[in-house]
Amino acid sequence: MITSFLAKALGRNIVITVAILLALAALVPALNLLTAPDHPLHVPTYIVSLFGKYLTYALLALALDLVWGFCGILSLGHAAFFALGGYAMGMYLMRQIGARGSYGNPLLPDFMVFLNWKELPWFWQGFDMFWFAALMAVLVPGLLAFVFGWFAFRSRVNGVYLSIITQAMTFALLLAFFRNDMGFGGNNGLTDFKDILGFNIQSNGTRSALFAASAIALALSLVVTSGIVRSKYGKILVGVRDAESRTRFLGYRVEHMKLFAFVVSAMMAGVAGALYVPQVGIINPGEFEPANSIEVVIWTAVGGRGTLIGPIVGAILVNGGKSVFTAAFPEFWLFALGGLFVLVTLFLPRGIVGTARQFFERRKEYRKAKAVEEARAFAAAEPQAAE
Amino acid sequence: MSIKARATGALLAAILSTTAFHGAFAADDTIKVGILHSLSGTMAISETTLKDAMLMLIEEQNKKGGLLGKQLEAVVVDPASDWPLFAEKARELVSVNKVSAVFGCWTSVSRKSVLPVFEELNSILFYPVQYEGEESQRNVFYTGAAPNQQAIPAVDYLMENESVERWVLAGTDYVYPRTTNKILEAYLISKGVKPEDIMINYTPFGHSDWQTIVSDIKKFGSAGKKTAVVSTINGDANVPFYKELGNQGVKAEDIPVVAFSVGEEELAGLDTGPLVGHLAAWNYFQSVDNPANAEFIKTWKAFTKNDKRVTNDPMEAHYIGFNMWLKAVEKAGTTDTDAVLDAMIGVSVPNLSGGYSTMMPNHHITKPVLIGEIQADGQFETVWETPGLVVGDEWSDFLADSKDLIADWRAPMSCGNFNVATGKCGGKGS
Amino acid sequence: MHTRLIHRFLQCLLVALCLMATDLRAADDLRSMVNALGGGSFQQNQKQIEALAKTGDPKIVPALEALAEGDLYLRKADGIVFIVRPAGANFRLIDALTGDDLGEEAKAGLEKVKVNNGLRRTIRGALGGLTLMSPDVNVRLQAAGTILRTPTADALDGLEIALAAETDGAVKAVLEKARAAAILVSDRPVEEKKAAVATVVQTGGRDSLSLLSGALASADESLRPDIEAGIRQIEDQLSLWAGAQNIWYGLSLGSVLLLAAIGLAITFGVMGIINMAHGEMVMLGAYTTFVVQAYIRAAWPGLFEWSLAIALPLAFLVTGAVGLVMERGIIRFLYGRPLETLLATWGVSLILQQAVRSIFGPTNQEVANPSWMSGAFELGGLTVTWNRMWIIVFSLAVFAFLLFLLKKTPMGLQMRAVTQNRRMASSMGIRTPWVDALTFALGSGIAGIAGVALSQIDNVSPNLGQGYIIDSFMVVVFGGVGNLWGTLVGAFTLGILNKVLEPYAGAVLGKILVLVLIILFIQKRPRGLFALKGRAVEA
Repeated sequence: MITSFLAKALGRNIVITVAILLALAALVPALNLLTAPDHPLHVPTYIVSLFGKYLTYALLALALDLVWGFCGILSLGHAAFFALGGYAMGMYLMRQIGARGSYGNPLLPDFMVFLNWKELPWFWQGFDMFWFAALMAVLVPGLLAFVFGWFAFRSRVNGVYLSIITQAMTFALLLAFFRNDMGFGGNNGLTDFKDILGFNIQSNGTRSALFAASAIALALSLVVTSGIVRSKYGKILVGVRDAESRTRFLGYRVEHMKLFAFVVSAMMAGVAGALYVPQVGIINPGEFEPANSIEVVIWTAVGGRGTLIGPIVGAILVNGGKSVFTAAFPEFWLFALGGLFVLVTLFLPRGIVGTARQFFERRKEYRKAKAVEEARAFAAAEPQAAE
Repeated sequence: MSIKARATGALLAAILSTTAFHGAFAADDTIKVGILHSLSGTMAISETTLKDAMLMLIEEQNKKGGLLGKQLEAVVVDPASDWPLFAEKARELVSVNKVSAVFGCWTSVSRKSVLPVFEELNSILFYPVQYEGEESQRNVFYTGAAPNQQAIPAVDYLMENESVERWVLAGTDYVYPRTTNKILEAYLISKGVKPEDIMINYTPFGHSDWQTIVSDIKKFGSAGKKTAVVSTINGDANVPFYKELGNQGVKAEDIPVVAFSVGEEELAGLDTGPLVGHLAAWNYFQSVDNPANAEFIKTWKAFTKNDKRVTNDPMEAHYIGFNMWLKAVEKAGTTDTDAVLDAMIGVSVPNLSGGYSTMMPNHHITKPVLIGEIQADGQFETVWETPGLVVGDEWSDFLADSKDLIADWRAPMSCGNFNVATGKCGGKGS
Repeated sequence: MHTRLIHRFLQCLLVALCLMATDLRAADDLRSMVNALGGGSFQQNQKQIEALAKTGDPKIVPALEALAEGDLYLRKADGIVFIVRPAGANFRLIDALTGDDLGEEAKAGLEKVKVNNGLRRTIRGALGGLTLMSPDVNVRLQAAGTILRTPTADALDGLEIALAAETDGAVKAVLEKARAAAILVSDRPVEEKKAAVATVVQTGGRDSLSLLSGALASADESLRPDIEAGIRQIEDQLSLWAGAQNIWYGLSLGSVLLLAAIGLAITFGVMGIINMAHGEMVMLGAYTTFVVQAYIRAAWPGLFEWSLAIALPLAFLVTGAVGLVMERGIIRFLYGRPLETLLATWGVSLILQQAVRSIFGPTNQEVANPSWMSGAFELGGLTVTWNRMWIIVFSLAVFAFLLFLLKKTPMGLQMRAVTQNRRMASSMGIRTPWVDALTFALGSGIAGIAGVALSQIDNVSPNLGQGYIIDSFMVVVFGGVGNLWGTLVGAFTLGILNKVLEPYAGAVLGKILVLVLIILFIQKRPRGLFALKGRAVEA
């Protein structure tokens, strides 16, 4: 009964996806930890951490879909929120190293020691506590999105102008975090993590737990976004996307609508970043690269913009493809990836999920139409026969 | 029915099948060597050459009969100048392809990114590029120069031969220049240079507009004292930097620039006519005249089928590292990581500058230091070299926090950051 | 009387004989001194060169010049030093003193006499002293300049003789200054030094500052105030010029931004295509230049000075053709879906990068500056490099050309018509698909010729385009999409802003500040500097 209620609130596809994600969250760690390495069903740790990473990417793409797919805000700076969340988590992990760093300094991370920092800068305070870091991973991106969105949406910065200034934002952050004077480890970023919440970050158990956490976070976010999208508010968002001025003339405060979606999306991206960092073991300014944000847009577009499930499929597919191609054709994989983007835009303009959905709908419509036609033909045949 | 599930399933299958595919080759008839250099993205410009060099070395070794009676097989992947991807690819090389050793990385951040992977999976990485030091890891062998094998001798040369009194330390704002400049600053001050005679300047990656900085250098150099520039500017930004120097008429005779990241490869993209006399400090130059090097250059040109291809210092580092690894594997009789790690220390192989390089217990190697001046043909001419070999010093003596640290990976100590003042191995947190 | 004459005659004879003997001995000495350069260390050679310079014999000039150029070689067999010229696999030997051709010799038997900066500097000083009396004005000018850069007290006598004999005004001015510089390091009386300080201060400039600060360290008390006042005076002048210098650098950076962005102003600004492959068009233009130069070097070396002029139309054609193919093959299916053009062109950009990497290799390619693009000239207190200046001129020329094309030609009219109202234009009989294709090809072609110019100041590598793409978008958006003038003003504003901030904030922070200012500016004017007005804007 609960299922049927959820299905109504969320849509059947979402429920199925959430169920799959939750099943994966339970099954994959179990298969990794409980089966012997030579068991046919064993999932190697390599796959666990790889797919754990993909799931965080999927969460990032989902976050972008909320603003781009449903609200028409093409953010070319979403990786910035992801990276900020990552940095918050990275700072916690750095503080956890404690005196186990190269120089054995109990308070200062290694990079601060050899750049002669004498005390911990104020913005590093509190990050030794997990709850604080976790809070910051959500709050900092949210706050940045709020400030940025507040100004941008109030000034009615739109379309490509908005895209370009989000790009300027992530580029400025890239340069800022790149500076060693900022106190975030410069180009090397934060690395050499030892443990998280007391568990060794390299152990299979921790990896499996992180995988499960990523899957669950993705499932939860899917429920939340789906809830937003299907609510009355969601309908207005789509209205904003399709005809902003008209929605405004109808009396809605468009900028508030947009701001809310933007902030929620940035927070989701922050969570994704926070889950990403312990799984890859490093966070550095490279994550702010404008190219990374563009890639997120591409995952979303490949999977299908405005479908919620599409971005997840897109992120996993494109990144999986990248993983396979960079090993299988190290010299030519860019041709494959570039070709994929061109072909998808040309032949699957709604993305994979969008196109599939369209196909099913068309078939349904076709059947319906056919049934109607047959009925009509039948109806038309009757009087003829009577004549 | 979710498409996602299907897609994921298909992808999983694809990955597993490539795993199986590679696995089939992992049968014991070859020894696999991983090559982890970016073939696309910003670092491809430097790293692709190293991939080719490794392929050549492996091919040559196979012609000589391989290793332990087996053929060597190179596994090439492309980490695409994407630092987290380096970690993913390293893990793939070690745990999926089962390589015996990996040769790779260029930037410090890529090395930092893969370190935990090599530590966790207990495999071996050979890192061929000059770097900032302040690191010694059990699973990594550093065949490039530490700061004392490059920076300090270069500064000494300029002080003695050019009587330089005023210094511009210009670098890209990342860890290698920062650390090198800190070490140099401390060193120069210990030599009696006044702090106001040192100017430090940092620029972003790929900086291409050098007008202001070059004119600042000219300004700084017009204080009546002999001035030199120590450049730790990173690869790509060097071409516009040198073009601006040449055009603004900064001549080597007036303000020499000594660089630690400019080799034959970087100069290949430049008209070096206006740059004659600017310097670089390395452990190897293509112009070094000896039979081993001549042979190496010949093989390289034949392998790349390009008569204009140049050789450079990181290539030599791979040459040394690869030969050391071969020797250690032969000594150990196996490619098993622990045995090879033990066998590596003390291994001595010929380098290309006409001597021998030895792997020290701190996982750094001994090297000669050469100072060369840029010539009009894009090559360097050695104008000075250290009389003997210099041992790589991983923990600099000129930084307050690292001067008490040493690394020794031999049996009882087995520590990468042993503090001689406290008598404890710092990394173990005791 | 008679005896006196005879006496005088004998005296002369004796002197003449002596002179001949010394001459012979000197020639002998010279040869052994030159030969001694072969085996010496840098320090020994330095002394040797100083000794050679003291002889004052112009015969040693070619040998010293060859040494500085690295063309002086030692024959290992007999220790004789020769000047060499490459002759196939061998060297052609030239006598170091007489300049006689002595035939060819295998390279293996010869060893280069090494030279370093210190030696080159010494040689330059020596040559300066030796060539001060040369009949060639340019040589004299160079010699005077050399002494000015490395003044020594020894050079003073020679300078004064040369000054007395000098007729050319320009050379004379440099000689005067060189003399003053030499006086400052000599032991001449204080009055003379004060006059010298005045001379140096009067000429001004960065090198004068350098001379004075150098002299300050060793000056005695009575001279110090003069020098210090002089330094202050020059510094004041220079700080005035520094402002101008920053503006100039800003203009130069602005011209680079303009070049990088102007093609995008067409494809993105006018057509609305988010063209992520724009940077790659610039890169293709730069590679065209490389290919043209390589071809010219191999086939007609004489044409090298013209290589850029030849590359320009070719780059336009090559990138224009690539643009045409892109438009016909991909972009025309995407009109009305601007965001999707981002995806497709991003894919194209990856493919183009990798294609160039596969064809030319990942390393930098050498694109040389023709001589008219190299070096710098002084304009008051400004150092203006020729390449930067020509790039400013070129960027403005390209802008003017484009403006003319769009505003004054039938084709431009059609382009504007199609972008403003496609259906109306179509109804008027304009073949809109072809106009689209040509417009995109034009934008790409312009990006290509920008690549020709940028190859002169930047790396020619597959990553070239990536470095400019973000800046280009910033410029177009800042200036206002769809307005060429906006792009012009935007590029120069951002360039100057960047360069004015850089000395205070540093390169990294300066750039961050500029980005933040762009973000804030867009809040104020959400459609850029020169916004299009009217109803069409919303669409």
